[in-house]
Order: sequence, then structure tokens, then C-alpha cells
Amino acid sequence: MALTFETVIGLEVHVQLSTNSKLFCPCPTDYVGQEPNSFVCPVCLGLPGSLPSLNARAVQLGVKIALALGCSVPRVSRFDRKHYFYPDLPKAFQVSQFGLPLAEKGAMPIFLGGLKKTVGVTRLHLEEDAGKLLHGTPDGRLSGASITRVDYNRAGIPLAEIVSEPDMSTPMEAREYVLSLRRLVRYLGASDGDMESGSLRVDVNVSQKCSDGRVGGRVEVKNVNSVRAMERALEYEISRQREVLLSGGQVYRETRHWDDSNGSTRGTRGKEEAQDYRYFPEPDLPPLVIDDSFIRAVEKDLPELPWEKRERFQVEWGLSSEDASTLSERLDLAEFLEETVAHGAGRGSAANWVKTEVLRILNETGIETDALPFTPRSLGALLAKVDEGSLSNTAARGVLEVMGREGLGLEEAMRKAGIVPGGVKGDLLTEAVREVLQGHPEETALVLSGSDSSGKKRKYLQGLVMREIKGQALVGDVSAAIDRELDLMKGFRE
Amino acid sequence: MKSEPMDAAVIASAVAGRKCSAVEVVSASLERIAAQEPRLNALITVMADRALERAAFIDRQVASGGDPGPLAGVPVVVKDNLCTRGVRTTCGSRMLGNWKPPYDAAVVEMLEEAGAVIVGKSNMDEFAMGSTSEHSRFGPVSNPRDPSRVPGGSSGGSAASVAAGYVPIALGSDTGGSIRQPAAFCGVHGLKPTYGAVSRWGLVAFASSLDQVGPFSRSVADMALTMDVIYGRDPRDSTSNERGRPRFAEGALNPSVRGTRVGIVREFREGVLEQPLAKAIEDAALALGESGCAMADVSLEESVTFGLPCYYIISPAEASSNLARFDGARYGLRMDAPDFVSQLLLTRGAGFGDEVKRRILTGSFVLSSGYYDAFYTTALKVRKKICAEFDRAFTSADVILMPAVSSFPFKKGNFDDDPVGMYKSDLFTLPVNLAGLPGMTVFTGLERSGLPTSVQLVAPRWQDQRLIKYAAVIEKKFGRSPVATGGCF
Ligand SMILES: [Zn+2]
Repeated sequence: MALTFETVIGLEVHVQLSTNSKLFCPCPTDYVGQEPNSFVCPVCLGLPGSLPSLNARAVQLGVKIALALGCSVPRVSRFDRKHYFYPDLPKAFQVSQFGLPLAEKGAMPIFLGGLKKTVGVTRLHLEEDAGKLLHGTPDGRLSGASITRVDYNRAGIPLAEIVSEPDMSTPMEAREYVLSLRRLVRYLGASDGDMESGSLRVDVNVSQKCSDGRVGGRVEVKNVNSVRAMERALEYEISRQREVLLSGGQVYRETRHWDDSNGSTRGTRGKEEAQDYRYFPEPDLPPLVIDDSFIRAVEKDLPELPWEKRERFQVEWGLSSEDASTLSERLDLAEFLEETVAHGAGRGSAANWVKTEVLRILNETGIETDALPFTPRSLGALLAKVDEGSLSNTAARGVLEVMGREGLGLEEAMRKAGIVPGGVKGDLLTEAVREVLQGHPEETALVLSGSDSSGKKRKYLQGLVMREIKGQALVGDVSAAIDRELDLMKGFRE
Repeated sequence: MKSEPMDAAVIASAVAGRKCSAVEVVSASLERIAAQEPRLNALITVMADRALERAAFIDRQVASGGDPGPLAGVPVVVKDNLCTRGVRTTCGSRMLGNWKPPYDAAVVEMLEEAGAVIVGKSNMDEFAMGSTSEHSRFGPVSNPRDPSRVPGGSSGGSAASVAAGYVPIALGSDTGGSIRQPAAFCGVHGLKPTYGAVSRWGLVAFASSLDQVGPFSRSVADMALTMDVIYGRDPRDSTSNERGRPRFAEGALNPSVRGTRVGIVREFREGVLEQPLAKAIEDAALALGESGCAMADVSLEESVTFGLPCYYIISPAEASSNLARFDGARYGLRMDAPDFVSQLLLTRGAGFGDEVKRRILTGSFVLSSGYYDAFYTTALKVRKKICAEFDRAFTSADVILMPAVSSFPFKKGNFDDDPVGMYKSDLFTLPVNLAGLPGMTVFTGLERSGLPTSVQLVAPRWQDQRLIKYAAVIEKKFGRSPVATGGCF
């Protein structure tokens, strides 16, 4: 009987918290692009005699993520020292939370093809980042004797480590988990979640259960620096582990390193030696006490969560799963959409316009919604006119373009575009209808003969009229004018 | 002016009242230092230039009508594990080389803010580990009362500086008795505040949950004056705190102890102490009795039995962690090597002395997996019991009267091959650190041999000012600590 396998995946995600200062000192955190070792002080350099003071904002953001994940936040948590010698670790210990983490036992929903799955969250704790090693040559050239320098600008940057339960079974699920978590921390304003710059880092744990009862050792894969790299690393590691088990071998518990350029993982040590970090409670920091009022204040600050929004868009607004997902991806976009609706636009048309027109501008220009040249108020008013039929989609697009280009309000933009909603009627409208019908005799004949049962041709003609008059007529007026002309033509023929 | 060193309070009012200049006072201090240092070796660094500059600044401040502060022109010595901006801070170790910190310790800032002038950094057991001040890269310190003897440790240099009259006030640090034991050995007062009462910012850590900075002085009034300056919460030290703002100086002036209870420790009554030290306890008890105190019988059985092993697990554990940062990469000693690990091993091998290595090894061992629960976890439990035992004792006593040391100062070289023997000499002081309590060694007199006797007072947490009151009563009876002449002038 052929052997089958079950994959077990758990993820440890580190997110850099969006604080202004480091976890234990007043040094600024926007170190990217700065001179090495320019954002440092006695505390984050671990100079003798220096002492840590906990950044309350980091605690706030950590609790915020924890509450969003439905974790319980115990009244008392604690910092511990995790010891190891490495030049990027200035004190030779990392201050982290080991025994009593900030939060425990939460969960996050992920969506795969519209199906919801819940991934457990084991714990969330705060810790400080280490510095960065810079490898190079004394003269800065790429070859020659190499030296290593250390940049401590990153040392002490606050991180939240979020450890999942081993609840995922495919690289796809792992991907969705990371993307959902990233969306969440961005929603919460807790982190920019940028994997490329390292503000979101993932360590992967993956193992195999074989149908003959054998269980492979858990392999931790490090150095996955993008979501794509993580998926590839998982795919590689899953097939590697299965092959080992199929050939009767054993998968050892170890840490492996993902090499993105040749698409494989390699063991980092010959034989796995258990690291002894000699954890013990950080004596320089009193236990962290988080009382109910702190929790309530953070709770009050929680926005609607991405998965809640998505579900509401789908269930209450009747959007497709795909649209609901697209429109809840970014908090600023979702809020733009909701404000547009609040200012008069129908949900359907607003969703359509935001996911096409607005998203297109955002993607093309790379700006945030608050930098858009038009407000949800004016878009809402514009779309309200479309919804009531006093403006065609085409005309509205033209107005939006003017609003964007000239930075004008709705009324002014319409004036500028020469558009008066419902302004074309009577003889002018009749004239336009006649022109279109005469210019399209075949379609007109079809409609007249009554064989346009689906009404497609008639709609086509109506659209042409609207285009002719730049959409400046009420849809009802146009329809009536067409009817009148057709009747005349009918009478003429009879 | 040069004849007899003055009290801090006297100097401050003389300088503020322009009866003498800060420069004169500081110069006199520097002269005494120059004369006696060859014999005592109490200081690692003498800060003559910076001190004179600072004194001149204070004189100008006074001249322009400014408030020079409560310690105006008072020369002080601080232990060389307190960071001084731009001035080498060595901890008595090779490891720190000539490291010049880019910042001042909080207590250094506070002293200078109050007008004090730091004239030197005192010699000490390497990284504050030791009870004799012999374990220093800069050689042993001599006891000013008898130079063939050690001054105690680890703040031996600070204690000796005050006893020898270099300065009226010095700061030390006390992890298991490092202020109170050298105070007893040198015949001066020494106070270890409540854990958290004085900022540790800028104190190079030995065992963070036990370390406290505190003063030495020859008079209780000076002790109070210094406590008024250095006591209080510092946001840079998250373990610092305060309960109100006690007025130490007032407590020293009006020491009312009538109607209070003094706890006498049952376990320390007989056979443990050298006779004159036992008598000092009796005499102090009598003096307090005369001032209206009742004596109460208290027990510290668990502290006596388990304090020492508990301390020698917790303090090395924390030390092994605190001292892990010395890898030669950023500051201090660096032994050149082809890679980081070799550099680490060579640097630490060369930089730390034997006593420090012994404690790092012990600490790493008790924290390692497989041994952690048997040692570290157990020690934490014992520590809780010791705290509870003191709490119990303080239900029947307002202050505890007990010895600080069990013997007169050791001869130099006494413990060269007996580290555990040296550890045992901390028996009376270290339980106080484990419980985070304030404790003070109070000078009670000199024997005919010239060697000092003393007692230790221990108060409940945050009752540091209580120590000052009782010490003032005892000082009234026994007299203040005289400057050691050492027979040479
Ligand atoms: Zn810093």
C-alpha cells in the first residue's frame, strides 16, 4: 500500500512594532538608511552601567495585536534574559519574554478560495532586536581580506514575536497566514509589516506525519525573506522530508537555512547541539503588570478587523468573495470605500469604482488614499448621480478625471468638463436620438422589428446617445426620447 | 585648614558662607591623598584637575550669589564601578582597560548637582566581587587603621578614603555587604539603602537584584546629608522607587527613638563573634535602652542557615549574565584573534581575575538546564523565605540590632587559598541584600589596638531614615568616627 503524508506547519513571525523609540531606550527607530551606529546610546549598546526602561507604546501595540488575535493577556508578564554570544548582541543576552509572555492562546482566521480556516496562536511576546553584521573589506571593495563590522542601529528595536500553533498543512495556508497577519498589523498601525525591509520576519517549522505511523523531526527553516521564498522553502522542505522518509531514513530535528538563489535548504550544523540559553528573569525590569483599564483603553482603540470587514462586505453588502477580499486588503482603501458610501454612493457602484478607478490610481502612483486628489465625499456625490441615473458611467469617469487632474470639487469639475447632469432634454435630446438611430439603421431596424428580445441592441443605442450628449441627460429622459422616435418611425413605416 | 579634615556639613556651610573656598578644601583633600596613597592605595584614579576645575566653578557660583547646593565644595570619592563621563571607570579589572564612559552615573550627577566635588575613584575588588579589596588589578588596599590588614571589600577603597580623611563622604556599592563590611573594618559609618531607593543608573552591575549604591561617612549628620542628596526614584532605573521624601538630616538632628522596640537577634548572641564586637552590640543595646527603647527577641534562623548558599547562587547567576557583555568587541580589553569566538575566549581569559571567573562559572552552572531548578529556582524560594522571616521579625521590632562582621579586619593574604572562608565573612550582611532591606554599619569605637568596633542596624523596607535616627543615638553615646592617623602624623 502506498504511503501517504500529512504536513504539519507552524510559523514564528517577528513583527517590528511601529514605535518612535526603541524598546528600552529613547533612541529613534527609523534607522533605515542612516549612518551605521548613529542611532545608539549606552542602553542599546549595552554599555556597562546602563539600564533598560520599558517603552509603554511597544506594550500598547503588543497588547493591541494580542487582543485582535483574541489572545488572553495575563495581568502579569515578565522579561527574561536569553543568553548567547554573538557580536550583534551587545549585552550577550537578548531581553525577551520566555516564561510569562505578554499574551497567549489566540487564533486568526485565514481564507482559502473563500473557505475559512482558523489557525491557533500559541503566544505573543515582546523582545528586542539585535544589531546587524556588515561584511566587507577594509577598503570597501568586494574582494580581498574580509572584515566584519557591526551596526547597532537596529539593536533594541521592539519586536513582537507571534507563534502559531502547528495548524497549517500546506504552503498555501502558510502564505495566507502570513498575509493575513501582515494585513492585521497594518490595520492596527502596529507595524508596517514590510518583509523586504525586515519589519516582518518568518521562521518556518515543518514536519511530516507518515501513514505508517512514523513522524519526522521538526525542521526549522530560517532565512526566508519573502512570502514567495517561504512557499518555495516549504515546498522544497516537504518533498525533501518525504523522500527521506520514503527511502526509510529519518528526518532529524534541526535548523536549516533557506538558500533562495539555488532554491534549497541546507543544515546549519553538522549535529544538532541543544542551545542552552540560560534564561532567567531580567532583574533590571520589574514584572510587567497590565491592568484592566489598560486593556480596555487598547480595546477601545481597536478598528474593525480585516476579516470582520471582509465578512461584512460579503454578507451585508453582498459583494463577491473576491471583491470583499480585495476591498478589505488595505484599511485605508476599505475606509475610503465606506466613506464613499456614507456620502451617498450605492454599495455596489462604490465597490466597483473603488476596486477599479481608485485602486488603479493608487497602484499607478503608489500614494495612500489620503493623498488622492479627490475625497470620498466628492466621489460619493458623483456616484450618487450615477446611481440615480442623472449621469452616465462614462460622464462620471470624465468628471472624476477632471477632479483628479485639476483638484476640483464635484460641481466645479462638472462645470469644467462641460457636463450638466440632466441638462440635455427636449429638442436637443430628440436631435441626438435621431442622429444615432439614423446612423445605425441595422440596429434600429432590429429593434423596430421586435426581434431584439434581450433588449441588447436597444441598450447599445441608448449608450450611443448618452455618449453623444456626454451623459448629460437623465436615463429616463433618453429612454423616453428613444421610444418616441421609434414610435414615429413605426408610424412612418405603417 | 590642612590640619584636620572637616565634616561635609561644615565644609558646605563654610564654602557657601565664603568662610573658605572650595578650591582650598579640595586642594587640602588632594594633598592628603598625595601623602597617604603610597601607603593605602585606596584610589585607582585621582581626578585632581577635574576636581580643581569643579571647585573653582563652585567658588564662582558662590561669588555670583548662586546656590551652590547642600554639598558645596565637599570633596567626595566614588567607587570605580560608578560611571564618570570621560574619566576611566575600571571596576578594578583589566577587562575594562581604560574605558571612559560617555555618561555619568545618576549618583554622580546628583552629587555634582548638590555641589560636591569628585576627587577620585576608589579601588575595589574586581567587579565588586570580594570582601578584602585585594582582588584588584591595581593592587590591594590597606586598612588605614592598620595597614597590615585589609579594609574589607569590595568598597574597601571608599571606606579607607573616609577613614583616612581624604574626604568626609564616599560612595560605594553593596551587593552582599560591600559597604557595611568595609565600614566595619575601617571604622566608619556605611549605609546600604533599601533596594530601589537609590538609582543604579551608571553603576556597573554585579548582581542587579542585590546591588545598591550607598554612602560612607565619619558622622551620622554627613550620612544623612548624603542620603538627602542621593535618595529617590530615577526613571532610568526601572527598579528604583520611593516612598515619600524622608528628611534624613532632620532625623539625624532630632533622633527620637523613645517607645520603640529594638530587635536583638537570638542566633547571634553567643560564641559567634569576637568578644569586643559582641560587647559593642550589648553596649549599643544599653544605649538605646537608655534612650527609651525596649529590647525584643527576634529570630533570623533561616537567614543564618540558608542566606549564604542562597546568596552564592543568585549573585553569581546574575553576575555571569551581567558580565557576559565583555567580549572585546566594543570597549575595554581586546585580545586580537582571527575570529569572534577566539577573541571572546582570549579576551575573557586575560581580562577577568580568578575570583570573577570563579563566580561566572558558578553562575553559568546554576543557570544551565538540568541544574536550574535544583539551584536557581530553589534559591529564589529561599530568598522569599528570608524576606518573610525579616517581615516576621519586624512585627516585634522597629529596627534590628546585629553585628555587621564577626571579626576584626583580616590580615592581608588571609584568604588567598580559601575563597569559601572569605564568602562566610558576609554572613551578617548578605541576608539584608537578599531581603532588599536598608542596613547600616554604625561605628562604635576603637579598641586599644586601634581596630574598630561596630554594630549593624537593619530596618524595614523604605525605613532608611529610621537607621539614621538610631545611628544618631548610638553616635551620641560612642562618639563619631575619628580620622585614622595610622601613626604616621
Ligand atoms: Zn539606545
